[in-house]
Amino acid sequence: MAHIHPPGFPIERGKIHEFANSLLDDDPLYHDLDAALAAGLPSVVAPPTFSSAAAFFPDPNAQGMSMKGLDLRFLLHGGQELVFERPIFAGDELHSEPGETTSWEKEGRRGGTMKFIRNEMIWRDKAGEIVLRIFNTLIQTAGVVKD
Amino acid sequence: MREKIWNQVKVGDEYSFEMKDVNRSSFVRYAGAGGDFNPIHHDQTFAEKAGLPTVFGMGMYTAGVLGRVPSEWFGPTSIRRYSIKFTSRIWADDTVLCHGRVTKVYEEGGVRHADLELKATNDKQEDLIRAEATVRDWQP
Repeated sequence: MAHIHPPGFPIERGKIHEFANSLLDDDPLYHDLDAALAAGLPSVVAPPTFSSAAAFFPDPNAQGMSMKGLDLRFLLHGGQELVFERPIFAGDELHSEPGETTSWEKEGRRGGTMKFIRNEMIWRDKAGEIVLRIFNTLIQTAGVVKD
Repeated sequence: MREKIWNQVKVGDEYSFEMKDVNRSSFVRYAGAGGDFNPIHHDQTFAEKAGLPTVFGMGMYTAGVLGRVPSEWFGPTSIRRYSIKFTSRIWADDTVLCHGRVTKVYEEGGVRHADLELKATNDKQEDLIRAEATVRDWQP
């Protein structure tokens, strides 16, 4: 059976609850709608790295990582930077679009020449306002890297 | 939000917690919640075939755990920026120490901000993640 995916990334209370639980985070603003409303928020908040769950909601753009010309055997995820314009709340419906990609090379000590690729994904809400920018850095090494 | 912390915060302030009992189920629970079902993170047979002694956790799992430092400390709505660098893998049975330190306190656009340096280390004192965050006194 093929996987079917809706467009965009709907932010849901149940998913936020499950995600926060997996990190053993019991902050009521992630779990308790009444606590969130009492704090003046529209709904429960998504934890800082919640957007990583969206990479598996394959909006055709959502991965944001162009794998073209990369050797997947020797590809590392070097890091990620998240820049929030505002918090993400349950009820948000986010869509992503690719931003800029930059790349550079560096001589590595352990795996020969390393190529760094930094991809930007821009996330907007239903009103078209930017909510979040995600920058992923991928590292292409010349061979296997040991820890 | 969190009026008290914003009135007290100063450079050098620290916050940390220890995450004990990280195990295979932690990775599986995160896979279910986050959607990363790469078998290298849950399937022992697959991991052994790849030449590993056992499964290791997702980098974003560790990043999520470390993200509790700024969110517990300054509140879930305070996160302006969270920037992480993966340095080592997390393994089942690791104990993870998550630590944060304030490096700068300032105002921007009339809103109070703080910069933090963050680190997740295992019980062998190896860095798993080095990170930075900017938090701000965000108001709804």
